[in-house]
Amino acid sequence: MTVAENLFESLRLELRRGSLTLAVLAQLRQEHYGYTLRKDLAERGLEIDESTLYPLLRRLETQGLLVSQWREEDKRNKRFYRLSPEGEQILIRLLDEWQAINASINRIFEQPQS
Amino acid sequence: MELLDRYLQAVRKYLPTRRQDDIIAELRANMESQIEDRESELGRPLTRGEMEDLLRKMGSPVIVASRYQPQQYLIGPSLFPLYLYVLRLVVLWTLIIYSIVIAVVLPLASPDHSDIAASLLRTPGVLINVAAWVTLVFVAFEFFAARYPEKCPPLTCLADNWNPSSLPPLEKADVTGRKPRSFTQAVAEVVVGFLMMAWLLLIPSHPFLLMGPGVVVLRVAPYQLAPVWWTFYWWIVGLNVLQLAWKTIDLARGQWQQPAPIRQIIFKAVGVIPIALLLSVRDHIYVVLKNPSADQLRYGHNLDVINNSIHLGFSVICAIVVVQLAWEIGQIVWNAYRLREAAK
Repeated sequence: MTVAENLFESLRLELRRGSLTLAVLAQLRQEHYGYTLRKDLAERGLEIDESTLYPLLRRLETQGLLVSQWREEDKRNKRFYRLSPEGEQILIRLLDEWQAINASINRIFEQPQS
Repeated sequence: MELLDRYLQAVRKYLPTRRQDDIIAELRANMESQIEDRESELGRPLTRGEMEDLLRKMGSPVIVASRYQPQQYLIGPSLFPLYLYVLRLVVLWTLIIYSIVIAVVLPLASPDHSDIAASLLRTPGVLINVAAWVTLVFVAFEFFAARYPEKCPPLTCLADNWNPSSLPPLEKADVTGRKPRSFTQAVAEVVVGFLMMAWLLLIPSHPFLLMGPGVVVLRVAPYQLAPVWWTFYWWIVGLNVLQLAWKTIDLARGQWQQPAPIRQIIFKAVGVIPIALLLSVRDHIYVVLKNPSADQLRYGHNLDVINNSIHLGFSVICAIVVVQLAWEIGQIVWNAYRLREAAK
């Protein structure tokens, strides 16, 4: 990788980091377990590595934004996650924040270049 | 599935102990689902190569396990600026105090100066030790702050509770037009000054510190240094003591930003005296024979060449120093004139 590509990759990861949390919280308005969550996000255009997603779910649960339970499905024990009440409130606020940032960036791009 | 079992076994080793079973069970469930989906797409079991690709895409066991750790750094971003500031301060002051001990306390304690060289060599070890302790303290604080945030005071209050009125006054450029010196620079000069003093004081008893392996030549050669070098040596030591004392006083009084240019000129001018002293030696005798009666005939001519060369060398040095001094005096006068004109 060239220096410019390395720089882009580093900035791209930074940009994605916050967005991934928002996407995961939004998707967990419905119950998922790790693998199906990853599949659903990928179908909606957001690819996440397993090694990033699964620890993220744990971290969000530790922060009280998600709740989980083990359940048997298709003869296999799986850990299902969904938003906690606190997670729902945080999601709404994060979504507002994200939309505000999005609108600001659009306005910046729309302004004429002097 | 044997490869999957081996992979999960490897991940388990690096996981936090308390949550190993839970995390491995979840990872297994997710990965088995992924494998099942892939196999139903292909209509057959995965080959070993495909399985290896899947695990490779998952990531190395060490990296995967590390992402389950609660904290990915020893000292976090909120604490790091304070850590860096404290580290610099502690290391700098340790260096100053240690240098003073080497240059002043040790020579008084051990008259044969045998401990000084050993203490000088121990300096990097002492500094690394101090830096390690400071780092350890901050790592411990970060650890407890992450786990017991309600018991640790917020460090943001240090950044938030500051008064703009207490900022230091604007720094002016000195009359030579150079930028003001920083505290680090001033401290470094004092520290280096003390180390230089220690080195100077050790030279008579340990000439290898000046000449290196060449000291052997001095021992076996038929020549020896003339007594004038002792006068020169004590002038150099005296000048260094004076300069070091001024720098230390400036640092202690908080006046390191603007070293007085006139004082610098005076030091440089006084520094010409030992050189002039050497140049004024009668018959330019800097090196003499150890056994003149035995060696005069054989080494007399060489001795003249050596003495004349030393005289020439010091003449050139003296000329350079005088020209440099004149140039700096001229610069100071010119800059003072410019500043006065600008102020009108």
